[in-house]
Amino acid sequence: MNLKDLLSPFYVWQRAFEKPYTSIRPIQERPGAAAYRGFHINISEECIGCGTCHKICQNDAIDMVRVETYEGRSGDSGLRPRFDYGRCCWCALCVDMCPAGSLRMSNEYTWITSDPTEFHFTAGVEHTTWQDNPLGYHRAEGYHLYPPKRIEMEMLPPEVSVQSFDEVVAGYSEPQALLEADRCIECGICVATCPAHMDVPDYIRSIRDRDYEKGLQLMYRTNPFPATCGRICTRRCESVCPVGIQGEAIAIRWLKRFIVDQIQPQDYARILADQTGNSGHRVAIIGAGPGGLSAAYYLRKQGHAVTVFEAQASAGGMLRYGVPSYRLPDADLDKDINYIVSLGVDIRYNTRIGKDIRFEQLLQDFDALFLSTGLSVPSSMRIHGEEHPRVLSGLQVLADVASGRDPGVGQKVAVIGGGNVAMDAARVSRRLGAEVTILYRRRIADMPADTEEIHESQEEGCHIVTQAIPVEIIAASSPQQVSIKWGEAEMVQDPKGGRPRPVLQEDRMHVETYDCIISAIGQGSDLEFLSKEIQDQLAIEWGKFAPGEYQHTSLQKVFVGGDVANRTADAISAIEDGHHAARGIDRFLNPDARTHTDQEVN
Amino acid sequence: MNSVDEILDYAIDQEQQAADFYADLAGRAEKAGMKEILLDFAAEEQSHKQRLLAVKAGDHKLTPEQQVLDLKISDYLVEVGASANISYQDALIVAMKRERAAFQLYSDMAAKVPEGHLKEVLQGLAKEEAKHKLFFESEYDDRVLRDN
Amino acid sequence: MTLVTGHSAALDFAQPDPVDLSSGKYVKLWQGPQHPGITGNMSLELVLDGDTIIECKTHVGYLHRGFEKLMEQRTFIQNFTVVCRIAVPEPAFNEYLYAAAIEAISGVQSPPRAQWLRTLNLEMMRLASFLMWIGGQGGAFGQYTVANWSLTYRDYVLDLFEEMTGARIYHMYMVPGGVRAGLPAGFEKRILKLMDDTDKLLDQIERVMYNNVVFKARAKGLGVITREMVDPYGVVGPNARASGFRRDLRKDEPYLVYDQLDFNVISGSAGDAYERAYLRLQETRQSVNLIRQVIAGAPSDGPFQADMPNLLHWKVPAGETYVKAECTRGEYGYYMVTDGTEIVRRVHVRGPSYTHAIALMERLAVGTNIADIAGLMVSLHTYPPEIER
Repeated sequence: MNLKDLLSPFYVWQRAFEKPYTSIRPIQERPGAAAYRGFHINISEECIGCGTCHKICQNDAIDMVRVETYEGRSGDSGLRPRFDYGRCCWCALCVDMCPAGSLRMSNEYTWITSDPTEFHFTAGVEHTTWQDNPLGYHRAEGYHLYPPKRIEMEMLPPEVSVQSFDEVVAGYSEPQALLEADRCIECGICVATCPAHMDVPDYIRSIRDRDYEKGLQLMYRTNPFPATCGRICTRRCESVCPVGIQGEAIAIRWLKRFIVDQIQPQDYARILADQTGNSGHRVAIIGAGPGGLSAAYYLRKQGHAVTVFEAQASAGGMLRYGVPSYRLPDADLDKDINYIVSLGVDIRYNTRIGKDIRFEQLLQDFDALFLSTGLSVPSSMRIHGEEHPRVLSGLQVLADVASGRDPGVGQKVAVIGGGNVAMDAARVSRRLGAEVTILYRRRIADMPADTEEIHESQEEGCHIVTQAIPVEIIAASSPQQVSIKWGEAEMVQDPKGGRPRPVLQEDRMHVETYDCIISAIGQGSDLEFLSKEIQDQLAIEWGKFAPGEYQHTSLQKVFVGGDVANRTADAISAIEDGHHAARGIDRFLNPDARTHTDQEVN
Repeated sequence: MNSVDEILDYAIDQEQQAADFYADLAGRAEKAGMKEILLDFAAEEQSHKQRLLAVKAGDHKLTPEQQVLDLKISDYLVEVGASANISYQDALIVAMKRERAAFQLYSDMAAKVPEGHLKEVLQGLAKEEAKHKLFFESEYDDRVLRDN
Repeated sequence: MTLVTGHSAALDFAQPDPVDLSSGKYVKLWQGPQHPGITGNMSLELVLDGDTIIECKTHVGYLHRGFEKLMEQRTFIQNFTVVCRIAVPEPAFNEYLYAAAIEAISGVQSPPRAQWLRTLNLEMMRLASFLMWIGGQGGAFGQYTVANWSLTYRDYVLDLFEEMTGARIYHMYMVPGGVRAGLPAGFEKRILKLMDDTDKLLDQIERVMYNNVVFKARAKGLGVITREMVDPYGVVGPNARASGFRRDLRKDEPYLVYDQLDFNVISGSAGDAYERAYLRLQETRQSVNLIRQVIAGAPSDGPFQADMPNLLHWKVPAGETYVKAECTRGEYGYYMVTDGTEIVRRVHVRGPSYTHAIALMERLAVGTNIADIAGLMVSLHTYPPEIER
């Protein structure tokens, strides 16, 4: 023992007069660090109630509860996360996982209340003092719990695609599909948004499990046109996919296509094992488009005999005559149709109701009728000179090409319109060797066409002129040509809201001459086959049927669906109409039987 | 027509005639669903009439200085006939054109009278018709040009 | 009865004859599970002859939370929030090893910046843990002043953890594939300032604690671990290094960026409590030094997370691995088996406390004065939670 060791402990005294380390609360508050994981903040307006926070929480500390304010919002479950602070461990995986980016944490340390039930709260809905605190934990840029970027789809380069009618989209390879399927967060927001309520998360899961047969079975429960929808669906599912909020939506459509592409047509019967009995009832369907054939499929599964009347020489409706083969090859459309027909669906081709057979005859001969005649009449611009022979309709051009006829568009084409028909008419014209200008009265963002179609049209060399309003068609010096006078438009905000309206600027007019002008500004229904008496009995608004809950009408045993009976006018809505009408028809035909549960229909 | 009351009576009568026109057309309409739509048009004209009656009674004021958006949709469309087989698109064109003609009429009259109350009333009526035209043109823009 | 003491008996694992408690010559005393001299919830069942301990039995089970089993019920990402709780004062090593095991099996490579940040996090953890240990060791010998100083500095390190990770204790910072965030603005400056202050603090602690005549008198010769005992008893880390072994995984099998850092393995020879304490003080200084090196070397930009699959339903490929790292108390290891599902098949957590606090403690306690039992226990630096995974 030495003296130094004896004295050294007394050095503690040198710190006796230093400031204490401790702080005195509540006089001195020490704020949490800027990224401290404090209490939950949810921006309810940005939250879409996908429930992914609930799913990743290992403590079951998050329940999704119904909040009236958000019910019925598109792409929103109407649910919001409710936190149980008796279970939370403040790991913030919920924050990291939140695809909407609405969830984060404040940097508060303490929450004192005499009421313990307050610790069970719906953040962002119930008042909390920290809701507006800008500090606290949030997901750091560059850190993800799921890959935010989509697996890119291989496509024919535009200079090649424009040379032929070959399919532009290559489709995913298996490794690509597995990667893309992996990105799904399985929230099911897509299921609610899909008109047919396809079981998207589960069929995507079947890809991850490499059980494509299971995937096909799942798809046919709600949609007998998966090969078609896997290519040309309007995919509202993707527009609401939460992954798309902070990244790129899951390529649901391409994944659907991938499943179908893995399965050979001859294996369908074995995999789907659809049973078709004989109920003794006979159902007539007018129109062999997606709506009619979807109804046919589910009606056959219910055991009803189905006869489809089709005015054209082939089945498919707009899918065949309105969608060019570079988007939907005939072989893939036939894959869907042939399977439906294989269940014993009788299709009478080249049979136009009202001409070849009277509608009243069908009413007499069949136990139920399903009308899905589509929209086949091109809308008229109602401008002067429209009847010029070099003004073609977009639908006619597409139908000609689909039937192997030359629509004769010439070398220099103007397409009027901003929908998919306009884009397809333009792209078809490019493939026929023409130079194409698309005139559209609003902005690109307002175009009803699929954004991909707009993009691909431009890639393929279609020149889009926006805010261009056609005012007159003028005969050109050559009868093989035609001139169009159009004026520039300014977009003006409507004080009543809604999308801005184009206002013609009469001092900025242009006249241009083309080999033809393709008008593709929309299409309407053709209900001429129905007598006035029958029309009066069917609720018709704005040229469309307004069916009841089960696609039924006020005329007994008549059910309607498809473009002629819905606002959205796309294939998937028609398919759902057909499916739903089949449920309705089954209820109608078997009012007492207990067979019309969804399971039976599926 | 020189007095304000005469002008208003004329305008009210015009609205009534328009209502009658649509009601008559509705009675003959052949296309499914058009009857209801034309009756709606008639009701719309009746509401215009009620508004003018309120103006005449002094319960409501015209607003000649108001700016009304002109979409100029009807200006370049072809004339269509008001047949029993009229479609919705054509019915709207008929309506737009009628409102446009009325607007023109009051505007021209306003240009011919000297400054004063009468001129203001005519300008106010022109604005009213411009609003009606905008109503039908917006409808046309929303429904007929929905996908365009 | 036979007292097993001294070098020659070190490897004798034979059970001693039972003590006849009814003779009235002995006192049985329970230390723990709620005793401040115990480093967590475990207890020592001591038999005393006078004030000398003649028998020690350890009891665990007060803290069993079944982490390993729990992990077999949760997804891989969910477990990352669980593992930190296995060793309360040193969660970071669990986070790192859990991530490293998954990365080893799945072939995911965390980016360089993440490796530097992980190293920083682990060394901060070492520093915080040692500072807490100094307080414990001081407290066990009645030096509560030192405990207050060092625990305060531990809190300053926790402040930095709070900034860096969003939490003070359970950081949950190292995810499979990388880390959750980069460093906040100004962090480097603040941590370097704290390192300078910590150097001064450690000098003061050395002066008032390590040079304290009472501490020296009580700690020297206490709980001697001989060289021969090290391997048979599974002694690792500072406990082994104080007995003359130069074993440190950071040097022997470098992981993260340790091969890019300049440091030497510190070792001692005496193997008693004082030697271990002094060695830990030096390693605390070493940690301060390593933190400075990491701050100087860490890239300030670039990705800090590898491209990962969707962690919500990640199926880690089937595989098996054992990964290890040098925690403050020696080798910390994770043995992991996966079967290609979304859930881990088996995780075994190997912490140093199991051997140190049970077999070794039972052995070293015998012959010790009852007054020094807390000091001895702390000098082995054990965490009961990590025994009960």
